[in-house]
Amino acid sequence: MKARILEHGDVLKIVDLLREQGHEVFAPFAGRGRDTWFDLVTDENRGRVQVHLPNPYYPPKRFVLPHIERLMKVRKSNGDIQIEPTYRDRKRAIFGIRSCDVAGIWHLDRFYLGRDFRDLYYEKRRKNLFLVNVVCTDPERDIGEECFCPCADTGPAARENFDLQVMDLGDEFMVVAGSPAGEAFFANPMFKQATEAHVEKRRAILGEVRKRFKTTTSWFPATVRYVSQGTILDKTWEEIGSRCLECGGCTYVCPACTCFTVSDRQIGPGEIERVRIWDACALSGFTRMAGGHNPRRAVHDRRNRRFFRKLAHYFIQRELSMACVGCGRCAAVCHGDIGMPSVVEMIRRATAENDKLQPV
Amino acid sequence: MYLEAVGNQIVGAYPSMSHPTNEGRICVRGWHVHEVASSLDRLKSPLLKADGQFREVSWDEAIGFIAGRMKEIRARHGPDALAFLNSPRCSNEEAYLLQKLARAVIGTNNVDHGTGVYCNNSINVLLDMLGVPATTSSISELARSEVIVVDGVDLARQLPTIGGAVLRAKLAGAKLVVIDSRRHRVAESADFFLQLKPGTEPVLYGAMAKVIVDRGLMNLPFIKAHCRGYEEFLARVRDYDLLAAAESCGVAAEQIEAAALAYARARSAAILYSTGIEARDAAPVEAIVNLALLTGQLGKEGAGIFALTEHNNLQGVCDMGVLPDRLPGYRKIADDGARAEVEAVWGVQLPAKPGLASRSLLADRGKGQVRALWLCRYDPVSTAFFGDAANVLQQCELVVAQHLFLTESARYAHVVLPTTAFGEERVTFTNTERRIQLAEQVIEPLPGTSPAWQQLTQVARALGADWKYDSAADVMDEIGTVVPFYSGANYANLAAEYGRQWPCTKDRPLGTRSLFAEGLPAGGFKFMPITRDIQVTAPADYPLTLVFGHSLYYWNQNVLIQHSETLKREYRMLLLDYPEGFVEMNPDDAKQLGIRDGEKIRLHAAGGSAVTAARVTPEVRRGAVFVPYFVRQVQQQIRGTTENGVQLIPVRVVKEAG
Repeated sequence: MKARILEHGDVLKIVDLLREQGHEVFAPFAGRGRDTWFDLVTDENRGRVQVHLPNPYYPPKRFVLPHIERLMKVRKSNGDIQIEPTYRDRKRAIFGIRSCDVAGIWHLDRFYLGRDFRDLYYEKRRKNLFLVNVVCTDPERDIGEECFCPCADTGPAARENFDLQVMDLGDEFMVVAGSPAGEAFFANPMFKQATEAHVEKRRAILGEVRKRFKTTTSWFPATVRYVSQGTILDKTWEEIGSRCLECGGCTYVCPACTCFTVSDRQIGPGEIERVRIWDACALSGFTRMAGGHNPRRAVHDRRNRRFFRKLAHYFIQRELSMACVGCGRCAAVCHGDIGMPSVVEMIRRATAENDKLQPV
Repeated sequence: MYLEAVGNQIVGAYPSMSHPTNEGRICVRGWHVHEVASSLDRLKSPLLKADGQFREVSWDEAIGFIAGRMKEIRARHGPDALAFLNSPRCSNEEAYLLQKLARAVIGTNNVDHGTGVYCNNSINVLLDMLGVPATTSSISELARSEVIVVDGVDLARQLPTIGGAVLRAKLAGAKLVVIDSRRHRVAESADFFLQLKPGTEPVLYGAMAKVIVDRGLMNLPFIKAHCRGYEEFLARVRDYDLLAAAESCGVAAEQIEAAALAYARARSAAILYSTGIEARDAAPVEAIVNLALLTGQLGKEGAGIFALTEHNNLQGVCDMGVLPDRLPGYRKIADDGARAEVEAVWGVQLPAKPGLASRSLLADRGKGQVRALWLCRYDPVSTAFFGDAANVLQQCELVVAQHLFLTESARYAHVVLPTTAFGEERVTFTNTERRIQLAEQVIEPLPGTSPAWQQLTQVARALGADWKYDSAADVMDEIGTVVPFYSGANYANLAAEYGRQWPCTKDRPLGTRSLFAEGLPAGGFKFMPITRDIQVTAPADYPLTLVFGHSLYYWNQNVLIQHSETLKREYRMLLLDYPEGFVEMNPDDAKQLGIRDGEKIRLHAAGGSAVTAARVTPEVRRGAVFVPYFVRQVQQQIRGTTENGVQLIPVRVVKEAG
């Protein structure tokens, strides 16, 4: 991958270039307290775009998989049925997407585009999306209490699946091109030649940043084995389930959660729209089948489902990555503290207790 | 909480990480709240009924019609022939103007909110015993509680944000005591789960007080300095007996003792109960406050009484005086001095006689006295589990409904005024920890709708009142002059951070995190002696106890649920699984009667019988049968035959053929 150097004051010029190319650019802004969000960049707010800030809680996956979207309109007229799909294919860019969320979008790509059936709605959005990854380097502002991307091997610097990657080296930014479209930017003279010293500095900073993660860790490997082998006791799942308050929040904030439901609703005489909405495995209607059977009626069965889906070897093999990117959002959103890091710990602890030998 | 808008549409909702109450955690309803404003079923024009059919009319015609009819009815039957009800989801500004319209313009105290029946018990008890009608502390303080008692509220379903605070406190080392006849989600994490027989709470608390007194664990310095009525209370406590109480409540004596000792010995202990839909008489609330006074669990970080309000603005509508017997700020309507103060601000004379409460209104129009009913975002036909709202609305000469949708109640209205939705107007709500919060406008209102406070202003002006409010902020400024503990709550102050907790006064503009934190009132608290007169032995013919108003499924009738695609599915699922509704029974009771999950059963009570299905679940205690309150058939056929409002009815359950 090719790398260039950008003067410190020029980093938002990437946003300007993207806008000049006709992209709708979404970038992070800071609000009250630790609150941050992605918003559409306009002439008015462009100066307030932030490079270093806590990763927005409401994940950028909504730019490829909206919270709610219309898929099509269906109209009945003179015995005929007309179907009019609603595609959104504007050129969009996300400036400042963190490495965990880049991994999240890649995971969604594998799910929605990686197999026989390609999801057209997702594909049109994704094809038109340009990603400018920002590497988390500031332990105070970038790295949250719940971040654990080193455990999920997704950060702090993404290795692929971005168009451009921006990393703060202190006095200047290093910019890495991850795609031909990204590399095309280097034609602009503001991108200067990088030296071996720059590369070395990047390596040194990343080595340092990896040590600056806070309290959260998630030691996946053994848990993946226990989950895949089904050796986790029901008692442990029940303990996890009884702390779930069924809000669905973990799914909604997860950059790698793919689930949705589809509903038809009347919009006029003889006319309906079909919408797709984020869904959550915590909700009991999620797995209920026509006829009334619900294989996951008990809450702990539904929680079990979430972690099986994310950590079982079968799914990892199918999608080439765990469906957890280490962003820590589920740990922050959970009422009962059963986000990924806690659950991994509970499973490991329970299994360790199980292993205790009885001296005779 | 943030709403995400694209163009002029709200397309998503997410919590604020930094909010001091929820710290980034919201419930399933919050995650879907954005779907209300963008619902395709919204009303877009005022509707006027003529010959049984609604037709769209102009605002002028609608307002003119309402004012004309109200004048006529008042002239013919007097001001008390009109009544005004709202939903506990109304904004403070709407609530304030609604009661002002009733009191200052029409001249009646017939104002109440839909949940008044239960919540007002809690308000009256707290005012009487503590002098404040609200939660004494902040939710964030639960993280510092050593012991947390959760009484009679399924926090996981009803108030997950607070349920989460409790679970996390427990994980951090707090002891958790759950007192409930249901084994709900939070009970699974309890150190002491006291699964008592329905309705025996006062006995249980009496026994706990006895244990504390016997062990000498009373906080005598606290009692001496701050409380009245201790001797009388103590005399009654001696009537209680731990073993007898254990028998009556169906809870092991060791459990009661352990819970009492944990509570009394804790450096800081909090008690949480719901003021909402659940059966909540005055006695259990009195018993809870007694226990807190006895042990001095007030005015300390992590201690206190949490009178949880189950709706987004139940606290606020009460603060605003949507109560038949109290002015804004809770002063008694009968108090001449209080009335004079409000009269000075409003410039009119106010009626001194307390008005009719919602229960009486929705039972029989206050014995037929009321002829016109105003429903501000309130849908009693679908949500009131007392009275017979549909029948009452049919008998009224004038029903005005303000709502987003053509609700079941609005169908009975003569005029329907379409209102703006959450996110389309800038108004305030007050949460359960007294936090007055500003909800920001993020999109333009749907064309054809207007804010409910503005509609109230228009009607008042059409009736000749000189109301001048250009915005909801103006209304809040007036609220600040009428409600002393809101005097510092102007919009600029509320917008600065995450709202302010009242008392938020001119002298304390930053609000008050915890009541009594800066000193307890000398002799300001009062014990309430509770006589042990509970009858819990079931008649032999009717061995089970039917418990009504069970709010576990309550949210299924929320406006949000009916207009959110995912939540609607969750609701439908219940109806699909149990098309005839259901009551819940314990598996042991069911087994004994040969009843399996989903089977048809018949309930026999002394006054009537009803057919429904059984949902067999270990969450229910043996001996109890729970009726979710949307199962109206059971309500009407059994409860309808008893005295209005009875919560516990002895029944017999038999399997129904076919």
